[in-house]
Formats: sequence, structure tokens, C-alpha cells
Amino acid sequence: MTGSPLEITPLFSIGPVPVTAPVVVTWVIIAVLALFGILLTRRLALQPSATQAVMEGVVETIDDQIRDTMQADPATYRSLIGTIFIFVLLANWSSLIPGIEPPTAHIETDAALAFIVFIATIAYGIRARGLGGYLATFAEPSWVMIPLNVVEQITRTFSLLVRLFGNVMSGVFVVGIVLSLAGLLVPIPLMALDLLTGAVQAYIFAILATVFIGAAVSEGKEPPRPETPRPEALPAAPPAKDASKG
Amino acid sequence: MHIDWWTLGLQTVNVLVLIFILSRFFFRPLTAMIAARRAAVTAELEAARASKEAAAAEHQKIADEAQALAARRATLAHEAAAEAAREKESLIAAAHAEVEAMRASAAAEIARAREADRAAEADRASTLAVDIAAKLCARLPDTALVDGFIAGLGEGVAALPDATRAQMAASSPLALAAPRALSAAETAACEAALSRVLGAPVTLAVTVDPRLIAGLELSAPHGIVRNSLKGDLDRIAKELTRHDR
Repeated sequence: MTGSPLEITPLFSIGPVPVTAPVVVTWVIIAVLALFGILLTRRLALQPSATQAVMEGVVETIDDQIRDTMQADPATYRSLIGTIFIFVLLANWSSLIPGIEPPTAHIETDAALAFIVFIATIAYGIRARGLGGYLATFAEPSWVMIPLNVVEQITRTFSLLVRLFGNVMSGVFVVGIVLSLAGLLVPIPLMALDLLTGAVQAYIFAILATVFIGAAVSEGKEPPRPETPRPEALPAAPPAKDASKG
Repeated sequence: MHIDWWTLGLQTVNVLVLIFILSRFFFRPLTAMIAARRAAVTAELEAARASKEAAAAEHQKIADEAQALAARRATLAHEAAAEAAREKESLIAAAHAEVEAMRASAAAEIARAREADRAAEADRASTLAVDIAAKLCARLPDTALVDGFIAGLGEGVAALPDATRAQMAASSPLALAAPRALSAAETAACEAALSRVLGAPVTLAVTVDPRLIAGLELSAPHGIVRNSLKGDLDRIAKELTRHDR
């Protein structure tokens, strides 16, 4: 992989629509996840198999993260947050397959994910507080803060996509440079490091999306009581609106 | 940097499709299964709790029954002990009464035997005294067996109350016992002495009774006057018996 990740070329076209490599890889990931989900859920049982137990653990971990972060029932947000996490994770790790360039190494995919989070934040905020209530949050703590809050809504979404894009793209770029200069086996440690980076970036993207949505839902209100609280779970701090600025 | 807007749109659609697919075929079935397992576990825990409570209730019931049985056993034992004590007291009282009755009976029997022995001794003493007196009197002349007792007979009659003497005077003939047949003179002497004392002529019907040894005994329907050795020995024996008691 010696081409610049900033450049993207269509592989083929469907009518006037050019289909690029990230789209194809995303389709493959969608197909794999759909097939895996269908095969897994056909054999669900009260006494779980090893695979079912692992997948239930993944789902419960996602629920715990949502519950701890938002102090709300995770059922409403599970599909969005969970899908973003799993997709970003698999997209980041797809670089391990030779010849495959991760979709998240292209800014279009990261922008699509950030755009979905942006829209979801607005939609969940309006649904929870009403249109007036949600717009009123921009005037908190004072109307003077309205421009800053509007800018913050945009910049934090932008920072979300730039963070993911920069980390993944840089990893691919570095591996490509090292591979072109050193040889076949030298980039392996860097690829292993990309595994860790990919997992961390998937977690950060998902947890920041949760924080943004949680802030829009619960800002200025008391944290709602979870419908299915876990007794052993310690209450987490209420989501901070500026958590994305780290 | 160039942004391919077609790719951006397609990726947005792709992510939305993936959200739908995973929601439909991954998250929803798995969360449903987790909820079903939690419900099953809750139901089993509830059933186990109900079984535990039922077992505890049964255990409590058995404990209560055992306690009631123990209380009833204690009551019965207490009543049996009380009944045994009463029976024991009754038996002891009956035994004491029986022993007391036996002791009283034995004492009475002993007293009766002692009285009989004393009576037998008195009889033997009387018999012995009579025999001695008879043997002694046999050495005396026959006149001594009667003459010396005529005056005493008259004094005995004189000591009687007036009414008795009057009735005796009206009861003629009077029976007169003597140790031997009286001569006519002796009979006349007796009639004279009695007539003098009674104040009326007396006729005597003399009978012989050797047991008198010596002396005379006058018998009338209302009184007896004994003036004989046998009468004296009888009085002495009676007095001795009375003093022995």
C-alpha cells in the first residue's frame, strides 16, 4: 500500500454513482456481520454456547458502558452505539488483511459516522426535551453562550471525525512507508500496534458518541433512573459536555 | 484534500443499513435471550424461595407439633405422677389403717387372752382355795360348818333395805342352801334368827350344796344373802381380779 490515503479512486460505477474501495470493504463488513448475526441468533438457547456467551458478554458490556455514561436505559441507544463500535473496530482491524485498506482511513467514512452521530444527538435531544427544550439548551447558562454552544456542536463533531481519521490514516500511512523502506516483516510490530490503536479509537468514538447523546438528552436535568439497573455497577459521573475536548 | 461526496453518502447509507441489520439480527435477539434467561433465573429463584418458605413452614409446623406433643407428654407425665402419688398415699393410708386394725385386733386378742388367762388363774386359785378350805373344814366338826354362820346370816339380812326385807318376808318359804343337811334344831335356829330380823315368821326350804364348804346362803326372788366360805372366797377372788386390772 503505497498510495496516499488522501486520494480515493472509484473501482467501478453503478450508473452515475462511483463505487470506491471503502464502500466495497464496508459492504463486505456488512455482509460478514449480517451473516454472523443470522447464524448466531438461529441457535440461541437459555444455556448458551461459547460463541453466544461471548456475544452476550459484548452486548452486556456495551449496555453497561451506555448505562454508566448516560445513566439511562441502554435499550434505546444500544443499536446505534453498539453498531458504531463494532463497525469501527472491524473497519480498523480490516487493515490486517493484506491488500485491504480500512474504510476508516478515508475521511468519507469517518465523516459519515460523525454525521450520523451529529444527527442522532439532535434527534435524541429533541425527542427527550422537545424542540424548544433542546434549543433552549444552547442558551445555557446564558444567552451569551448561544454562539459558542452552536460552534461547539459543530467542532466536537468535527473533532470526532478528525480524531478517528487521523489515527487510522496515520497508522496506515506509517505502515506503508515502513513497508516500502524496510521489507516484509518489519511493519508487523506497527501492525500489532495498529490493533491496539484501532480498538482504542473504536472505543473512544463510541463512548464520545454516547457522551454527546447523553448530554443532549440529560443536560440541565436530573439523570434519569435506569430501567434495568445493575446492582453491582457503580454510578458514573454525569456526562460532561466538553468531554470531547481531551 | 478531496472529499468524494458519493462515497460519503454511500457510507452514511451503509452505516444506517448496518445499524438496522445488527439491531434486527444481533442486538435484539441477544437482548431478548438475556432477558429470557434472567426471567427464567428469576422464576427459578422465586420457585426456590417458595420451596424454601414452604419447607420452613413445614419445619415450623413439625416443630410446633413436636412442642405440642412434648407439652402434652409433660402434662400426662405430671398427671400420672400426681395420680401415682395419690395412689401411693391411698395405699400407704390403707396399709397404715390395716396395720393399725391388725395391731388393735392383736392388742384386743392379747387382752382377751390375758383376761382369759387371768380368769383361768382366778378359777384355779378359787378352786385351789375352795379345795384348801374344804380340806381344812373337813377337820372341823359338822356343827362348826353351820352354827357359826347363823348369826352372820341374820346380820346380812338385816343389812338389806327395808323394802327388800319386806318382800323377802312375804316370800315364804325362803330357799336356804347349806353345805350339809341341817338338823331340825339348826333349821329352827335359822328360822328364828330370820324371823327376828324380818319381823315375821319365816319358813325355810333347806337345800344341800357342798360347794359352800361352810356357811349358809339365803335365796329369795328379790335378794340373795351369802354367808359362806364359798361366798367369801368368790368375793376375795373378784377383788383380786379387780386389783390386777
